[in-house]
Amino acid sequence: MTTPMTTPMTEPVYHPAFDGNGFDPARAEGAGLADTRRHMWTAVRLGWQVESNWTDPLLFFIYTVAKPVASLLLLVFMVQIVGGTGAAGEAVRTFVVLGSALWAMLMAGIAGPAWSVLDDRERYRMLKYLYVSPATFLLVLVGRGVSKLAVGAMGTVIALLFAVVVLGLRVDLAAVNWPMLVLTLLLGLPPILALGIGLAAICLQTRQESWSYPEAFAGALFLVSGVVFPLSILPAPVQVIGLINPVTWWVAGVRGAILPTGASSIGGASSLWTTLTGTQVPDGAMTIAVLLLTGAVSTLAATALFRVSERRARERGLLDLTTGS
Amino acid sequence: MTADVTATLPPAISVAGLRRVYPVKPKPVTALDGIDLEVAPGEFFGLLGPNGAGKTTLIKILTTLLLPSAGKASIFGFDVATEAAKIRRIMNMVAGGEQSGYGILTVREQLWMFSQFYGLGSREGWRRVDELLDAVGLGDQRLQRVSTLSTGQRQKMNMARGLLNDPWILFLDEPTLGLDVSAARAVREMVLAWKGAVPGRTVLLTTHYMAEADELCERIAIVDHGKILAIGTPAELKRRVQRESVLRLEVNRLDGGPAVLAKLPGVVSAALAADNVEAGTEAQRVAVNLVLRDDNALTGVMAALGAAGSRVLGLRTSEPTLEDVFVELVGRGFADEADAEAANAGADHDHSHPTEDAER
Ligand SMILES: Nc1ncnc2c1ncn2[C@@H]1O[C@H](COP(=O)(O)OP(=O)(O)OP(=O)(O)O)[C@@H](O)[C@H]1O
Ligand SMILES: [Mg+2]
Repeated sequence: MTTPMTTPMTEPVYHPAFDGNGFDPARAEGAGLADTRRHMWTAVRLGWQVESNWTDPLLFFIYTVAKPVASLLLLVFMVQIVGGTGAAGEAVRTFVVLGSALWAMLMAGIAGPAWSVLDDRERYRMLKYLYVSPATFLLVLVGRGVSKLAVGAMGTVIALLFAVVVLGLRVDLAAVNWPMLVLTLLLGLPPILALGIGLAAICLQTRQESWSYPEAFAGALFLVSGVVFPLSILPAPVQVIGLINPVTWWVAGVRGAILPTGASSIGGASSLWTTLTGTQVPDGAMTIAVLLLTGAVSTLAATALFRVSERRARERGLLDLTTGS
Repeated sequence: MTADVTATLPPAISVAGLRRVYPVKPKPVTALDGIDLEVAPGEFFGLLGPNGAGKTTLIKILTTLLLPSAGKASIFGFDVATEAAKIRRIMNMVAGGEQSGYGILTVREQLWMFSQFYGLGSREGWRRVDELLDAVGLGDQRLQRVSTLSTGQRQKMNMARGLLNDPWILFLDEPTLGLDVSAARAVREMVLAWKGAVPGRTVLLTTHYMAEADELCERIAIVDHGKILAIGTPAELKRRVQRESVLRLEVNRLDGGPAVLAKLPGVVSAALAADNVEAGTEAQRVAVNLVLRDDNALTGVMAALGAAGSRVLGLRTSEPTLEDVFVELVGRGFADEADAEAANAGADHDHSHPTEDAER
């Protein structure tokens, strides 16, 4: 080997941190499941620290407390005006309050991974470093989605507390179907994140203008998932979207578990469900079965879409794309 | 230098017929146009080339960020297209001039996150981060928010990230861009010390500072328009221009600039020396780097200078520098780019005068 020609100005200074572990080929293999767990958990933690606005109390308050409560109030006032008072009005109000509170969590889970892609690529410019790390990109985004979902769930809880304390929402804790509630809540998480991953896959392909995509998509979903009004008021073709959409079944399942006697967002007179099945409303078991089925399908579809998108991003050089410079 | 372990390893970098086309409108850009390259384990390899030559594109492909349009590339025997996961565990990359980072995290937290992505244990990660922060001289800033770091400190943090996984190969894309003299030197020292600590560690560096490449690299490829124009040790590359005479000419004025001389018979190239004091038009001394096919061409140059009314203040033969090689191969002097470079480089003055260094 030749030595540099110029007089070396550079005096390398040894440091023990520079010692290494050699060239064992096993190092290229990784540690399998242990790595997966570690990557996932680190991504959750990263999302929690970077995106949950913990360190800025005002922002945290606005996004986690004020926003869900405000949208809840908005809907409740609208119901108040349209639906009037009395027992029927009360039922509608409860229906809307539950749906709206759940929406805080849904929104966070669905838009979270996409926002992670956009933030990391444009704002922090770390996407490429995450991408070329050994952590599976999909897993990192799921982890980020989980942390968003967790923060969103706090918004849901806060909105519910607000509804109980301030708006006088009455939930009979003894009547709540707890096993059903826990089961639906858990079964809903994969499909919610899957929708988030699907949206992230789309945002990976787009440029800066896609900042509004996650919210727009979630907003559209809001209308067809029976969150604040039953599917039956939608045109039949749109009801199809509602029925194959796991979010619909999740919201219906959670709502049904909390208020077993309350109205259903899915069945009822002139609903597509009733036309198709001849039953009034899906019961608990049916709700869970369909949630499982639609959840599995959307999880598979989202994973496939993400794979394709990731491949295309690597082909087109989109992973470190920034519009700023 | 080559310990037994490295002799048994596949090439650190192996590239064959590599092409990369960016499908952009209105016309696709060919960034890499048939690159063949092999870098042995343990080499300190440099890529030199003008802006837009394709250096970063090559690094992106080798670091699995981008797929090739055609051809093959592998890192320690692992194919970039099909074995990316393996490559990611044994390589790392650091780019210069970037404002990247999770501003809200502390330096220590951000690095720890990456240590976890690189598969270190939680406690081991903290230990490794602290030890590396100490090694890169960022120990005092470890609890500072990333957003508050200066450019140089941020680059040291990036270096620490690049070393977290004890990579077999480290890709450095203009790592000293925008750093002051001492910060740039600190980065070079760090890289040399790190590489020297374990035989077989490989570095691929791109830089626009000729002296940096000369000082650090054992082998250099000069690329332009996506092709490798020349490849060899710095000494071999310089010998290419040694066939010709390389002169440094100083005159009191030069009407029409060096282009006038470049047109003369026997003159291979004439360019303003990088260290010219270009203060106004009244410059009393203009230094020109001349490359002549042979010494006879000098007669013509002197005659032309006399006819133009230029007085010769000095004439020295100079050892060819990498810059001379670069100018000859790429065809445009770094003098043209010196302004842009100086603007980018901040105060890295000791490197903007490669000619002088070599003249001693
Ligand atoms: N994402 C992209 N889309 C379209 N063209 C691109 C893209 N990235 C690079 N190019 C083009 O490819 C060519 C090579 O660019 P590259 O960044 O590899 O050059 P470079 O040698 O690193 O230059 P520099 O010294 O300025 O960093 C240039 O012509 C550039 O415009
Ligand atoms: Mg570049």
